[in-house]
Amino acid sequence: MKKMANLHARWLQGTIASLCVLLASVVGFQSAAIADETCMSPYMAKIVGQEDYVYIWTLGKEGVGDGSDKLVTVAVNPESPHYGKVVNSLSVGGRNEAHHSGLTDDRRYLFAGGLDTNKIFIFDVHTHPNKPSLHKVITDFVEKTGGMVGPHTMYALPGRIMVSALSNNKDHGGRTGLAEFTNEGEFVAAHWMPTDEDMRGAQKVGNIADGYGYDVRVLPRRNVMVTSSFTGWSNYMMDFGKMLGDAEAMKRFGNTVVVWDLHTRMPKKVFEVPGAPLELRCAWGANNNYCFTTTALTSQIWLIHEDDAGEWHAQSVGAIGDPSQVPLPVDISITADDKGLWVQTFMDGKTRYFDISDPFNPKQTYEHQVGSQVNMISQSWDGKRAYFTSSLLGNWDKTGDQDEQFFKLFEWDGEKLVHKFTVDFYAENLGRPHQMRFGAYSLYSQKPNSEGTMLSQRVE
Amino acid sequence: MNKSVPVVKVLFVFCIALLVTAVSFFPGFADDPGMQNKVIFGPGDDKRGYESADYTTNTLDLQKRIGKEADLISFVRQPPLGLPPVPVPAENPVSTKKILLGRKLFFDRRLSINDTFSCGMCHIPEQGFTNNEIETAVGVEGRTGKRNTPTVYNVAYFNKLFHDGRESTLEQQVWSPFLARNEMANPSIGYVINKIKAIREYDGLFEEAFDGRGPTMETVGMALANYQRTLNSADSPFDRWYYGKEKGAVSEQAKRGFQLFTGKGGCSACHLVKEEYALFSDDRLHNTGLGYKESMRSGSGTTSVQLAPGIFTELENTVIQSVSRAKENDLGLYEVTENPNDRWKFRTPSLRNVALTAPYMHNGSIYTLRDVIDFYNRGGIPNEILSPLIRPLHLTDSEVEDLVAFLNSLTGGNVTTLVTDAFAAPVGDMGKDDPNWTHENKLEY
Repeated sequence: MKKMANLHARWLQGTIASLCVLLASVVGFQSAAIADETCMSPYMAKIVGQEDYVYIWTLGKEGVGDGSDKLVTVAVNPESPHYGKVVNSLSVGGRNEAHHSGLTDDRRYLFAGGLDTNKIFIFDVHTHPNKPSLHKVITDFVEKTGGMVGPHTMYALPGRIMVSALSNNKDHGGRTGLAEFTNEGEFVAAHWMPTDEDMRGAQKVGNIADGYGYDVRVLPRRNVMVTSSFTGWSNYMMDFGKMLGDAEAMKRFGNTVVVWDLHTRMPKKVFEVPGAPLELRCAWGANNNYCFTTTALTSQIWLIHEDDAGEWHAQSVGAIGDPSQVPLPVDISITADDKGLWVQTFMDGKTRYFDISDPFNPKQTYEHQVGSQVNMISQSWDGKRAYFTSSLLGNWDKTGDQDEQFFKLFEWDGEKLVHKFTVDFYAENLGRPHQMRFGAYSLYSQKPNSEGTMLSQRVE
Repeated sequence: MNKSVPVVKVLFVFCIALLVTAVSFFPGFADDPGMQNKVIFGPGDDKRGYESADYTTNTLDLQKRIGKEADLISFVRQPPLGLPPVPVPAENPVSTKKILLGRKLFFDRRLSINDTFSCGMCHIPEQGFTNNEIETAVGVEGRTGKRNTPTVYNVAYFNKLFHDGRESTLEQQVWSPFLARNEMANPSIGYVINKIKAIREYDGLFEEAFDGRGPTMETVGMALANYQRTLNSADSPFDRWYYGKEKGAVSEQAKRGFQLFTGKGGCSACHLVKEEYALFSDDRLHNTGLGYKESMRSGSGTTSVQLAPGIFTELENTVIQSVSRAKENDLGLYEVTENPNDRWKFRTPSLRNVALTAPYMHNGSIYTLRDVIDFYNRGGIPNEILSPLIRPLHLTDSEVEDLVAFLNSLTGGNVTTLVTDAFAAPVGDMGKDDPNWTHENKLEY
């Protein structure tokens, strides 16, 4: 009976919240004008016109070129003579398990993490946007944070970079935390995830407080920070097939999303979100108090949302593909108007577009085969261009003929994706492309260099 | 008031009985009452019950963990009840300075090619000095190890080290994981020595421990051997019953299990128990058929994969193969001798602390003691060179349970002491003052 009452209460809350969100979307102002490339921090300078470059944090592969991780720069302005071509490749030495990267709020520096070696490479992308340079390397991340391993998301806060880690130096499992650095790369503070033994003042909403981490996003208007959870070093570095066959290892995945007080950095609620909730994307609309995440293993879309009373909730709002076949949703990207959500499924190599006009009822309206495998997506602020890369993790990528490694641009006309160009990262001896970040001369009030790349339109 | 006294007495007796039961089931709690509310016999990220949708976490906090230095040398000089004198090579006598240096080296992640891997990343103290969380080891850059991490408890007593028995002394053994490409992946001995010399924290430590000798291939091996030689764990409930003659130290079920262990089960033919002590190993290698089965497995069919608490799916093996790198077969002792009769022979592990060292067997493929006994009860896996000691045992269900109870009585009384001592050890990670091998010439960029 109690369970039924809870269900009714949840349904009522959900319905009220849905109505509020719908109302907000009808009367609220359109948010596209304030949007950056849509998964960036709201604190960042924005490219609202044509981006000039895409910086691709690329994982080195033994036997491919120098085998080293590198930052690859591709010219993407159609007016550039080098459109669709690699214009720079900067090797950093070693295979660090290059994974995610993030720009500082002023977009002058790009922080790029190595999940294996725990190094954070800070690139200067503003002095020569077409030719980034290595400004600094943080080598003492683990020591400074008191034992965090696997710097993952690099997320801009005012004058700061918040780094979410994946693991720890004691057992290489999933217990971990967040670490805060200045834009100059100086360590500021460590914030460990809540665990049963120390909830750090948070409420355990379900049965689970695993202490795992993955992504971090903020909704400054609501003074909210949200984190998700993946797995520890032993799993993310392990051969994917070996892990799928290891029943003990498969227990070591995160099942939580944590809502934090952004200003105090204190966790408030630990939600049970089963099956490795990965990327978080928060809505841009002024009244859209919610974020999405997708679970990699259970293939569900989850909505993390605030009700009228200011309470936060987490609920599953839809499935992605056939969850029994583990399509493995990885990167997601919300459109600037909060009406669409791109979801990449690694195993089948597809991108899927969900209409999220009603965030409680996402509906898939389109899908496209990007390659034999696909991971990351970055879309332009106007949603007209979507860039894709193929690599997931060094030891998780497909093998043999299915191990395609590419950077692709498609144009989106609202109904279909139209292919514009592909850079084959194996053919170019580069490695495995992972996360993409945009650069533009317009951010720095610069003129294009002698290569003739044109200025972007404007900056906010 | 008078009437309540018997109730209080009954409650008191009940509580004492409960405590005694708890202490005998989790004997490590006995030597440190302060740890009684902590589960340090297993991963702090406790996944027991994960199969169920009702799984509830009981996660320990890494920031709360407290180390406590122990008098490790005492476990060499006076090994716990049930163990014989510790063999110590004349050329490497134990000393506290060497032990502490060895412990520091054991947990130093900088002693790998990319500063991410120490011995302690696989031999995790609270996980039985093995890794309870994965079947087979994962090394530098995630490279696949084909074998389960063996525990280092009581490793001082054995002359055949590694699952294939390829090494004979602890002093020599340490260099295999240092140099193995799928473990710590150091490119050479000199590389490791030079790295230790360049890390300021080691300044003078070798010289103090080894009469003026600095870090060398020999002193590094001797220091690590000194630490590992202290990890002697016994004085378990079984020892207190069998060698200490404490009648109530183990349950009647465990006693029945011991009778089966040395009788009908035939386990003690390999897992030896002697009059004055028990190492529970013959220090020899045998073919149980498990390696044969793995080598001859078929790639077809499906695999049950858990996705979340209570959620499973059946995945086609072809799907799993699409994200698998080629897996090396494991032929055991044959890889050392190249004698075809040695195919699939693996070392008999000690059973001391066996309740703490899951998953089991050389490949970590069996997760519970019950399933291990079932495997032997069925007579292993038939193959043309199966050990003649492996045969169907015809144990009943209750006999299997008795054996499990016996195996659970083998947890040493000093486990908490050894684990909390390891927690007190510094974990070596790259600091600002450490040599930055890769990026010291950043101006080149």
